[in-house]
Amino acid sequence: MKLRLAAARLRALFRKRRLDGELEGEILGHLEMAELDGMAAGLSAEEARREARRRFGGIEHMKEDHRDQRSVRWMENLLRDVRYGMASLARNPGFAAVTIGLLALGIGANTAMFSIVDAVLLKPLPFPEPERMVRVWEDPPGGRNGTTTLTFLDWKRQSDTFEALSVECPTRAALTTDGYPVRASGKLVSADYFQVFGVKPQIGRTFAPGEDQPGAAPVVVLSHAFWQTQFAGDPDVLKRDLVLDGEPHRIIGVLPAGSFDRDEAAYWKPMIFAPDQLNRGQHWLSPIGRLRAGVSLAQARARMTALRASLKDVIYQKDWGFAVDPFAEMLVGDTLRRSIYLAFGAVLMVLLIACANVANMVLAKGATRQKEMALRAALGAGRGRLIGQLLAESLVLCVLGGVAGIAAAYLILHAAAPLLAASLPFTADLSLDLRVLGFAALAVMAVLILTGLLPSLQTSFGRLSSALNQAARGSSSSSAAIRRTIVIGEVAASVVLICGAALLFKSLAKLQQVDVGVRIDHVITMSADLPSAAYPSPESAARFYQAVVQRLEAVPGVERASVSQGLPLQGVQWGEYMTLPGVKDFILVRLKLVDAGYFGTLQIPLDSGRGIEDRDRAGSPPVVVINRELARDLSGKFEMSNPVGRTVSIDVPGYGPIPESRTKLEIVGVIRNERTAGLEAPPELVAYIPLAQAPRQDIKLVVRTRNEPAGAVSGIREAVRQIDPHLPLGDLLTMEQVKEQSVLWAKQPTWVLGAFAGVAALMAALGLYGVLAHAVTQQRREIGIRMALGAQQGDVVARTLRSAVSMLVMGLAVGLAGAFALTRALKSLLFEVSALDPVALAVACVLMTAIGGLAAWIPANRAARVDPMTVLRNEG
Amino acid sequence: MAVNMSEQKTDVPYGTLDLLILKTLDTMGPMHGYRIARRIEQVAENLVRLNQGSIYPALIRLEEQGWIRTKWGTSETGRKVKFYSLTRAGAKQLGVEVANWERATALVARFLGAES
Repeated sequence: MKLRLAAARLRALFRKRRLDGELEGEILGHLEMAELDGMAAGLSAEEARREARRRFGGIEHMKEDHRDQRSVRWMENLLRDVRYGMASLARNPGFAAVTIGLLALGIGANTAMFSIVDAVLLKPLPFPEPERMVRVWEDPPGGRNGTTTLTFLDWKRQSDTFEALSVECPTRAALTTDGYPVRASGKLVSADYFQVFGVKPQIGRTFAPGEDQPGAAPVVVLSHAFWQTQFAGDPDVLKRDLVLDGEPHRIIGVLPAGSFDRDEAAYWKPMIFAPDQLNRGQHWLSPIGRLRAGVSLAQARARMTALRASLKDVIYQKDWGFAVDPFAEMLVGDTLRRSIYLAFGAVLMVLLIACANVANMVLAKGATRQKEMALRAALGAGRGRLIGQLLAESLVLCVLGGVAGIAAAYLILHAAAPLLAASLPFTADLSLDLRVLGFAALAVMAVLILTGLLPSLQTSFGRLSSALNQAARGSSSSSAAIRRTIVIGEVAASVVLICGAALLFKSLAKLQQVDVGVRIDHVITMSADLPSAAYPSPESAARFYQAVVQRLEAVPGVERASVSQGLPLQGVQWGEYMTLPGVKDFILVRLKLVDAGYFGTLQIPLDSGRGIEDRDRAGSPPVVVINRELARDLSGKFEMSNPVGRTVSIDVPGYGPIPESRTKLEIVGVIRNERTAGLEAPPELVAYIPLAQAPRQDIKLVVRTRNEPAGAVSGIREAVRQIDPHLPLGDLLTMEQVKEQSVLWAKQPTWVLGAFAGVAALMAALGLYGVLAHAVTQQRREIGIRMALGAQQGDVVARTLRSAVSMLVMGLAVGLAGAFALTRALKSLLFEVSALDPVALAVACVLMTAIGGLAAWIPANRAARVDPMTVLRNEG
Repeated sequence: MAVNMSEQKTDVPYGTLDLLILKTLDTMGPMHGYRIARRIEQVAENLVRLNQGSIYPALIRLEEQGWIRTKWGTSETGRKVKFYSLTRAGAKQLGVEVANWERATALVARFLGAES
């Protein structure tokens, strides 16, 4: 019954005019019949008419009753208020545009940021029962490490713990299409890889058990995106082959669109272990798994610990345990998590400042409308109705701001997604889904309360009768005080943000000033992977290095060329124990494999001895060059004052699947440090081994050019093509770009926070301007009288500026206190800058003062131009 | 003290107009607003003072509740007017209202009896 009533009333709401017309007809009919009856009873026509009316009662009163009876009163009021609010905004388009713009900016930035927070940190992974997905590691004292093939196979046999357990190794191959060969990234995985993710193929099938065993026919599964781009979404793709490094692979399935399209991999193929890889020496696998249903993380950990104990005779690293971690946790690093929290906190502050600004403008508007409100109250409008009306106006503002904000969020995400893709995990889908829209709606509601409810309470609760008397004169002082407080709060919040941004910018500058240890200008780098079929032996690879360097150095514009495994700043893959003959102690060193041209091309100077030379080839005595850091460590640890000429032992990696082997090497030289990890990381202990003595398939070409590196690219490609027409080159980057990439983790949060801080400062300045401009407008009369009484323009300007300065100083003080409390959160993102760095904080204060001063100057100037005669004539 | 039954006209007792309309429609079948008003006045033998117009808000209320329904028809003067009739729910409601009324009057009568 209730529902029916509500429906009837809602219907009535929209049929108001018709229902009114019907009622009119009924009344007329009623009166006519009453008149007829009256005349039948012997009354005159005139008397009958009067009698009919008398007996009917008050017609208008009845109509009103009738309307009340059938309508939803509050809804009509709301609609009227909303209409009125829109009309009032339309009368004041400047105010409307500024407020809606501010809210759109605030809500848009927040919505976009929330989309990132949600996708990276909040939303469960886009796979079924993601809490069952784990990473499994070996666990040496220093932190997680990969495992060996045999240990992995032991883990895989724990089928009561793992429903599926798979390796995951990045791989690259040449796609044979017409023209230049293309380099495509893929992954080598176990047959049950997709069971770990619980992903079903869109077409075809994924790997069957046994397809990762020796002798299985070569098959691949494609990503949806790769299927679209490479095969144009051909539905018959399952009848086709994918040719990788010249070898055809039967396409057995295509994944659905989604997360895997954001991964770098375009195809997956089974990892088939070579006999050489079946050992417990090479820690090269990082498996992911899915726990069996009902097995908790704690149970899995306990079982793995038990397994570790049972393997104590075959795994000789006594203090290495086994570790099981939730997959989701491993996807998001600490730095990323902190950066996202930081940016979200900052953007929330921007929204608060935007709200403060809008609230301030609404208050200012309310102050000038005091008289209207007072009049309406005097005419009998209830306080609730007045608040309702003001709220309705804010509602219009907020809804329009929210809609514009969602549009803004869409644009922001659209622009930011490609820039952020590399920094976010592949599972993060940045989109405006229902959750994000829900957040936007919440934000709009919060904004409505902040910008509508508070100011409307303030406006309506002022003493209305006194407002009637004084509204025409200056502003009410309590409203002005609130507005000044709001501006102080805005300035304070901006100062906090600017301080944070200043600290980050200083840190970033310091980071970028770090000496890489190599000359990074005019250097271009490329990746290549020598396929096993074409380069089956270490000798064949070594021949390629030599030939390619020779050919590259003949290219016009190329000064030097070299081949190495790995580049500066990108980290060194191999970590091995270096021992001295007869000494039990060891040093963990990073192992870098470089050719004879590496030091020269990157211009890393020698400290002593010699560098790697052409004579250090397969068959000649094994040598090693160490960096200054390692030399210092050797002298400290083993009192080896001159390491050159000494012999050390290191496990040197083998070619392809061949495991590393213990090798005695002679230290032939010491070179200056290059930064091998990031710029923020202290120099590592690095041993350089001649690439010719330990050839690798995954290599980098490093080329120093005479002019702009970009100009040499086509020559370089052609030179490589002449050596091997089937070998594709990838990751074409100048060393300057490599450096840029290595500081991206610091750069992104810095610029994001910087942008937010800039917006916040501008908004605070706008708030300051608004309050001062409003005060000047309201006090024109007072200023006019002062000037008529002899005040100079300077006095008037000073008075306005004094007011600005007091607000700024208070804001700075509060803001600095806030910064002291909050910048600690930045600590882990700062490089060699204290969280309370005085220079950065001072710069922040100066910036805020400058922006604030500029904002104050305009109204102060306007105050000075008040013409006393005009003002007094108008208002006197 | 007895209920005032003097010649003086009283207002329609508060809350009873709905009952009077439902009962009228129950007895007389479909009719339009004027006839309903007249009928109530006639039955009350001019004892109550009824603003005839006040039945229209009551009618819309009853219609919203689903107790009466309307149909367009033509009045004696040839004008298009609404004819109101009782729905099944309305007939049931009439029973409820009559019972309520009887309970209420019995209660009041009992109080008055006890006091006197």
